[in-house]
Amino acid sequence: MEPPKIWRERRERYLGIGIICEDCQKKNFPKTRICPDCGSENVKPYKIAERGTLKYFTQIMNTGDELIFNTPYIVGLVELEDGIKVTAQIVDCDFKELRKGMKLEKTFRVLARNGKEGLIKYGFKFRPI
Amino acid sequence: MSEKVGIIAYGIYIPRNRITVDEIASIWGEDANEIKSQLQIFEKSVPFPDEDVATMAVEAARNAMKQWGGEAEKIGAIYVGSESHPYAVKPTATIVAAAIGAEGETTAADLEFACKAGTAGMQMCFGLIQSNMIKVGLAIGSDSSQAKPKDPLEYTAGAGSAAFLIGKQDIIAELEGTYSYTSDTPDFWRREGATFPSHGQRFTGMPAYFDHIIKATKGLLEKIDRKPEDYDYVTFHQPNTKFPLRVAKMLGFSKEQIENSLACKYVGNTYSASSMIGFAKILDEAQPGDKVLVTSYGSGAGSDAFSFKITENIEKIRSRSKTVQYYIENKRNISYGLYSRYKGILKV
Ligand SMILES: [Zn+2]
Repeated sequence: MEPPKIWRERRERYLGIGIICEDCQKKNFPKTRICPDCGSENVKPYKIAERGTLKYFTQIMNTGDELIFNTPYIVGLVELEDGIKVTAQIVDCDFKELRKGMKLEKTFRVLARNGKEGLIKYGFKFRPI
Repeated sequence: MSEKVGIIAYGIYIPRNRITVDEIASIWGEDANEIKSQLQIFEKSVPFPDEDVATMAVEAARNAMKQWGGEAEKIGAIYVGSESHPYAVKPTATIVAAAIGAEGETTAADLEFACKAGTAGMQMCFGLIQSNMIKVGLAIGSDSSQAKPKDPLEYTAGAGSAAFLIGKQDIIAELEGTYSYTSDTPDFWRREGATFPSHGQRFTGMPAYFDHIIKATKGLLEKIDRKPEDYDYVTFHQPNTKFPLRVAKMLGFSKEQIENSLACKYVGNTYSASSMIGFAKILDEAQPGDKVLVTSYGSGAGSDAFSFKITENIEKIRSRSKTVQYYIENKRNISYGLYSRYKGILKV
């Protein structure tokens, strides 16, 4: 939860800014300096799709004391409408309501709070449509 | 008023959890039916632990942006009114700016005036636009209020957010006039560092809520030469259902004029967002040519009154984003146990 890292990655977390390669046209998230598909450095920012489909999901039951009020929480692999796959928390629903293939949309939530006095890290999660 | 200015888009957000008055009353051995008949509130909204004033403000702002369809770079001012900002120092408005892609050339600030901080931001945007300092402004009211367990406020203190984009182009609700009334009235307060607010019990009624709303509303009607019967819709701050119904009657408005705006019955008092969500609910169904009067109230105390005329543009932007009714119906009820975990009342 260092200020420079939180600041540098804010667009990635808030807006879902990844990359598109101008040589091979492949899209990737999270962003990298070099295209993971062809190794080109010719990449530019790309905003990932707002909606997607749930592929896999699991429930996290045990965490450290600092996250005790957030457990259990759900983590899922989401295939977005633009083909990008992201791993993120699934919120606004119970584990038993989840089904493979259900439609999800991006939402804006707290990812972590650094104690009572530190920074709050915000970013996207997904919720059922 | 010279050039036309008004609302160009709006969006709201209400968290999915609800706790009923019955559930809270059963914990404290109180008579739920008596409380419901007094307040005419049935349940209230409760945020998840990963929601706060900033996340709700972003959701409402994104709904407004979707309805508008314009570019975020055109927004020249962002104001977020709240009494429960996540940081004491570090503006919520900056987080909203980044989350809607409006960082850069824009002014931003957090406002605080109990439940009317959101309408204070609307008024500031109208002024900046009319003086040609900016083209588009974003005013948000967002609150996730705290109530001490067993305090009467525990039945009503809800959470929610409303965002209004204000400008000159493609106006959906044209501003006809605004009037404010302010006084130093100690009806409700929270000292720096205190977790829960304090209030003046019965003192919160007559000299506070009713006096300010009546003075601001009458002041506006006189200023623009209108009568209550000239309006199709009216809404006021909604700390419960009884107060806005009673103040409407005192001012000479009918139950029909106000009834449909009373979202508080199902989501509770959303503080800074309260009168703005009421206004959004009216915009969800208003027709071109309709006239709408909105008066907020913030403890401490003050009221902002606004008069709007709905334009034909309202039909173009409808169905582009979620309605107030969608959020009222998209809910799940929780127990007092889960509520106390979500609100941080439960300690480990
Ligand atoms: Zn490539």
